[in-house]
Amino acid sequence: MEGFTVWFTGLPSSGKSTLAGLLSDALRRRGLAVELLDGDEVRTVLTRGLGFSREDRDENIRRIAWVAKVLTRNGVVAITAAISPYRAARDHARQAIGRFVEVYVACPVEVCIQRDVKGLYARALRGEIEQFTGVSDPYEEPLQPEVVVRTDVESPEEGLQRIVGHLERGGFLAPGMTNVRVPTYLVEQLRRVWGDGAFEARLGEALAAQAAAVEEPLHEAEREEVLARLRSLGYVD
Amino acid sequence: MRLLVIGLDCVPPEFVFERFAMPHLRALMRRGSYGPLESVVPPITVPAWACMMTGRDPGALGIYGFRNRQDYTYEGLGIANSTSVREPAIWDRLSATGRQVILVGVPPSFPPRPVNGVMVSCFLTPSAKSEYTHPATLKPELEARFGEYLFDVADFRTDDKAALLRRVFAVSEQKFAIVRHLMTTRPWDFCMFVDMGPDRLHHGFWKYWDPAHVKHEPGNPFLRAFPEYYAYLDEQIGALLEVVGDDVAVLVVSDHGAKRMDGAICVNEWLRREGYLTLRNPPQGIQRLAPSMVDWSKTVAWGEGGYYSRIVLNVKGREPEGIVDGGAYERLRDELIQGLERLGDEQGRPIGTRVYRPEELYPVRRNIPPDLITIFGDLSWRSAGSVGFEQVWTHENDTGPDDANHAQYGMFTAAGLPLPPGELSGMRLLDVAPLLSRFFGLNGAE
Ligand SMILES: Nc1ncnc2c1ncn2[C@@H]1O[C@H](COP(=O)(O)OP(=O)(O)OP(=O)(O)O)[C@@H](O)[C@H]1O
Ligand SMILES: [Mg+2]
Repeated sequence: MEGFTVWFTGLPSSGKSTLAGLLSDALRRRGLAVELLDGDEVRTVLTRGLGFSREDRDENIRRIAWVAKVLTRNGVVAITAAISPYRAARDHARQAIGRFVEVYVACPVEVCIQRDVKGLYARALRGEIEQFTGVSDPYEEPLQPEVVVRTDVESPEEGLQRIVGHLERGGFLAPGMTNVRVPTYLVEQLRRVWGDGAFEARLGEALAAQAAAVEEPLHEAEREEVLARLRSLGYVD
Repeated sequence: MRLLVIGLDCVPPEFVFERFAMPHLRALMRRGSYGPLESVVPPITVPAWACMMTGRDPGALGIYGFRNRQDYTYEGLGIANSTSVREPAIWDRLSATGRQVILVGVPPSFPPRPVNGVMVSCFLTPSAKSEYTHPATLKPELEARFGEYLFDVADFRTDDKAALLRRVFAVSEQKFAIVRHLMTTRPWDFCMFVDMGPDRLHHGFWKYWDPAHVKHEPGNPFLRAFPEYYAYLDEQIGALLEVVGDDVAVLVVSDHGAKRMDGAICVNEWLRREGYLTLRNPPQGIQRLAPSMVDWSKTVAWGEGGYYSRIVLNVKGREPEGIVDGGAYERLRDELIQGLERLGDEQGRPIGTRVYRPEELYPVRRNIPPDLITIFGDLSWRSAGSVGFEQVWTHENDTGPDDANHAQYGMFTAAGLPLPPGELSGMRLLDVAPLLSRFFGLNGAE
C-alpha cells in the first residue's frame, strides 16, 4: 500500500478537525495505517513555543509537512488538520510530499464566528488575541484544491463522502473495498477448536449457502447472450 | 508471501517452452520450475479453471462443462456461472484468513462474488452493461481508465480475420493493463487473472499457421499471427513481472493445451445411423437438435456437441419419456462405448476415441453427470451435435469454421513456489490448489 497525505486547510472552526477525524476513522476501518496530525496537538509537542507570526506559522507548517512526508513514504496515510493559512507554505508541502490531496474546508467567516468552538473568535473580536486568522490575520484560499468541502451547507458525512470519493477515483484508495484483516491467531484458534477439516467444511458451507442465495445469477436475456457467445466460440452447439 | 498467477487459457507446453521466442518466460523458467500440466477430463475452460483453483475434479464440483443438466427433462440445461462453484477456491480460503486478493477474468466468475479484495468477472459476463465487478464501484473506475471492458473477443465468427486478430490483441492488452492498474493501486497477497487471448487465437487462426492443417494455405497473410501474438504475450508478461519484482512468487499456467483439429464427428448422426436415436421427421438441412424433433419412444440416447461429447441415455422412470430399462442401462452403455471407440475417420482409419463412464473418472459425482463422456480422436476431432449432415463426419463446424481443439496437457512455469527447480514432468492441474495451499500455509483438506 502506498501512502499519501490529505491536507486540510481552512479558517478556525471551519471543520478541519471534525472532517479529519471522520476520515481517519473511515480509513482505519479499511485497514489502512493512518496518522492524524491535528494543529492543536502538534503545537503542544512538535512545534511547541512557536507563535503566530508569518515566520512562525511557516515554520509550524514546514515541520508538519516534514512529518507527513516521512509517514507518506512509509506507506502511512498522513492527515493534517491545521489552519495553514499561507498558500506558499501549502504548495511547498505539496511539492515535498508528492502524493498529496489538498482539501479546502470552506465556510464563511460569519458562520465560523457563530460556531466559535474554542471561544477564540469572541476573544479576537474583543481584541484580546492578536493575529487571529479570519479576524486580524490573513487566510489565503487554495487556488486548485483537489476537494472543496462547504461545511456551511454540507453535513460532515456528505463532506466525508466527497473526500473518500475523490481518493477512490484518484486511485489512492480501493473503491468501496472493505478489507477484512482476519487476525491469524483467530483463524488458528478456529482450526484448533474445530479441526482443520471442519474449518474447511464450514467455509465450504458458508460459500455454498452464499452462492445458493444468489437468486437469479443470469436473467433470461443474459442467458441468451452468454449462450450465443458460447456457440460462436464453439464450446457448445 | 505474495503470489501472482498469470492464467493463459489453452496454451500448450510446446508453444511456450520450445516453439516461440519468449525471453521473459524463459527467464522465469530459469528462476524456477516448469513443465506440462495434465488437465482434467474434460479439458475445457469450464470446469478446468474451477478445478485448478478448488483442487476438486469436475465430479466433485458437479460441473461437467459449460452447460449442465439441471434436471432430467430434455430441456433442462443450465449455463455454468460463478454460483455453480460450491467448493472454496484458493481465494476464498485466503479471504477467510484475511489475505487480500485481486481476481480478473477467472472463469466462471459471473456474477462476481464477494471476496476480500476485488474481482472482475470473466468472458461469461453477459455484456458490458452487466455488473461485472466486486465491489460494484470498481466498474466505473475501470471504465474511466480503460473504456468499455472487453470481456471477450467480439464477433468471433467474422470473415474479417484481420479485424478479428486485432481484437484478440486488444482483449489481451486491456486485460494486462487492468491487472497492472489493480496491482499497483490495491494491497494484495494473491493476484490472478486469465487471458482468453491464446484460446481465441488458436481457434480462429490455427489453420493459417500450421502447414499440417487440412485447410492450410501456404503464403496466407496470417502465417505470422501465432509467433507475433506469443511475442506480444511475452512482452506483456515481462511488463507485469517488472511491476511485481523478484520477491513475489509467480505462476504462469494454462488450463489445457491446444492441437490441430481434423474434423468433427456428428454424434447424433452416428446415433441415428446405429438406431439409438430416432427423429420424428427427417431434418431439413443442418439443424441444431431440439427435443421436439426427437421421437422419444424410439430413442435410447442423444449427444451434445462441443470440443467433446456428452451422451445421455433416455432412461425409463428418469427421463420424462424414458425407454431404457434399468437392467439394460449398463449393457447399452457398453455397447455405445464399443461402437464409438471403434468409429474411425471417413476412410475407416482408427482415430483413438475414448469413452468414459463418469464413475471411472470421478469418485464423487454431484448434480447430474452425463451417462457417457466421449473424447473423439484424442481431441483431434470435435463433436457436432446438429443433425442433417447425412453422414457421420464433417469438416465444417456446425457453428462456423474452427481450426483447433483442446489438448489434454497445458503448461506451468513457477518461480518462488515450493517445487523442485528445473523441468518437472507429472504435474497435474489438480495439484495446483494443494501447491498454493502449501505456499500460503493454508492447511486443511487438500
Ligand atoms: N459540515 C460540517 N463539517 C465540519 N464541521 C461542521 C460541519 N457543520 C457543522 N460543523 C461544526 O463545526 C465545528 C468545527 O469545529 P472544528 O474543531 O472541526 O474546526 P477546525 O477547523 O478544526 O477549527 P480549528 O482551526 O479552530 O481547530 C464543529 O463544532 C462541527 O460540529
Ligand atoms: Mg481543529
